[in-house]
Amino acid sequence: MDKYFSVFKISLAHEFAYKLNFLIWRFRNIIQILVFFFLWSSVDSTYFGYSQSEIFAYAFLLIIIRSIVMSTKANDVSGYVSSGELSNYLVKPINFFKYLLSKDLAVKMLNIAFSFFEVTILYLILKPNLFIQTNPIQLILFIISLIFAVFIFFSIIILSSSAPFWVPEIGWGVQFLVISIFVEFLSGAFFPLDVFPKPIYEFLKLTPFPYLVFIPIKTYLGNMSTFETTKNLLLGGLWTIILWLLMNKVWKKGLKVYEAFGR
Amino acid sequence: MDKVIIVDHLSKNFTVNEGGTGIKTTIKSLFTKQNKKIVRALKEISFTIQKGELVGFIGPNGAGKTTTMKVLSGLLYPTSGFVSVLDFDPFGKFREFLKQISLVMGQKNQLWWDLPVINSFEFNRVIYDVKEKDYKRNLDNLVSLLGVSSLLNTQVRKLSLGQRMKMELIASLIYKPKVLFLDEPTIGLDLVAQQALRDFIYEYNKKEEATILLTSHNMSDLVDLARRVIVVGEGEIVYDGAFDELTTKFAGEKIIKITLSEEVNQKKLEEVGVVKKYNYPYCYISVPRSTVAFAAAEVLQKFPVVDLNIEEVAVEDIVRKVFKGELKS
Repeated sequence: MDKYFSVFKISLAHEFAYKLNFLIWRFRNIIQILVFFFLWSSVDSTYFGYSQSEIFAYAFLLIIIRSIVMSTKANDVSGYVSSGELSNYLVKPINFFKYLLSKDLAVKMLNIAFSFFEVTILYLILKPNLFIQTNPIQLILFIISLIFAVFIFFSIIILSSSAPFWVPEIGWGVQFLVISIFVEFLSGAFFPLDVFPKPIYEFLKLTPFPYLVFIPIKTYLGNMSTFETTKNLLLGGLWTIILWLLMNKVWKKGLKVYEAFGR
Repeated sequence: MDKVIIVDHLSKNFTVNEGGTGIKTTIKSLFTKQNKKIVRALKEISFTIQKGELVGFIGPNGAGKTTTMKVLSGLLYPTSGFVSVLDFDPFGKFREFLKQISLVMGQKNQLWWDLPVINSFEFNRVIYDVKEKDYKRNLDNLVSLLGVSSLLNTQVRKLSLGQRMKMELIASLIYKPKVLFLDEPTIGLDLVAQQALRDFIYEYNKKEEATILLTSHNMSDLVDLARRVIVVGEGEIVYDGAFDELTTKFAGEKIIKITLSEEVNQKKLEEVGVVKKYNYPYCYISVPRSTVAFAAAEVLQKFPVVDLNIEEVAVEDIVRKVFKGELKS
């Protein structure tokens, strides 16, 4: 464990070296939230079954959840694979995924700290009517759903990063498709997914994407039946396991065809 | 466990897409299946290396040296054949295995780009479970040897290429690996540092009984370090044996070195053999090994010779041939 704590420490130091980069990344997040916020405050938001205070809570939660779930160094992995930089990590006596997750812990902590700061600022500027969840059980379930989300996102990114094992030139394209289209759009990061017609909404919930953003937020808001909440939690857990196993399998296959380019 | 490295009928194939250049071919390649070609990078090579041996691994570019090293360090999955290093299957990437080996490549970058170098070393100390005391001693030793003690607190990005190479080496050696794969370790280093590094490798090999496989295109690296060489060409082993015997095995000629008392027309000298160099009064004539005695007698008879010596072809010339890919077994 000592090893991975060391990874955590050095990653934290490394992140601080990229101050400007980090601030710009945070700025991008805030802009996305503002777009969401103004879009929804201009329509009659009760229309889709959300009260205004709930939709504001949704927007603010987005900031924090994005920091927890979507800030990850796994994004760099497809580049490592196609450039051969991965070799540096493979010859070290560490588990690559644990290494990445330790790094992520540092990155996520920084992002979370910043997102709380931003939420406070935005709250003071916009002075919205916010819904605060006080039920401890709901909060615990919310945290569990977040942990699932972290691992689902990580697995999805590593899975899409494995494509360059077979097609080295593809790296960036797959990443863009996966993150922008599927993840951003279908996870609920742009709008609550229950604005979709019911059959589509129900279908989407069978895919792993809503468990990244939408389901955790729903769990926080707590406006679902106990049955619905339990079902979501179970499905989220199931996807976490399936994707984790799949990721390991694909990665192992990838390593067998890995060509360690660059020399 | 005398045999540290065992390679038996190892083959490695790569598939490459044979794409052309230009927009037209690129677009076409999106819709049609590309021509896949199989490149046989290693063709059933076999060798073993004993504990404490220092072996030079030489051959022209693209002969399969680096590929072999990548297989031995567990990066590449062998297409067929058996490989064992320190009794481990390298591809298994066992922690105990990885802790004992080091792969040093000219272009590898394991340093944390935006942090002072010392952080990267400290990081490796933890990753490789090096005891604080050993770490300190190794670090001091390596740092003074390579003359970089004043740079330890410098950001990696601010180092020059040569300085970074030295730091990479320190990071790779700080945990005292038992098996070293050195792929062009002196690339980018100045002459002083090259010599320092050679001395270090020599000492390290002796003191720690480390097993070292070294590739280099730097003649001095080989002459100074390698007692045994494995020559590869086009994925096959062309020669495996003592460095000194490379000459007897591969030089079909010997060199007659003569000192003349008066200048002779080079044309006349050519009648005896190939004149390698003529710089009056010295002349070097290359003649086939089998007829060297006859040629020497002829030289003595025909020309005003003060001194005559029969020499082996310089090992450097053989190695040069190796790099050109001219050696065939």
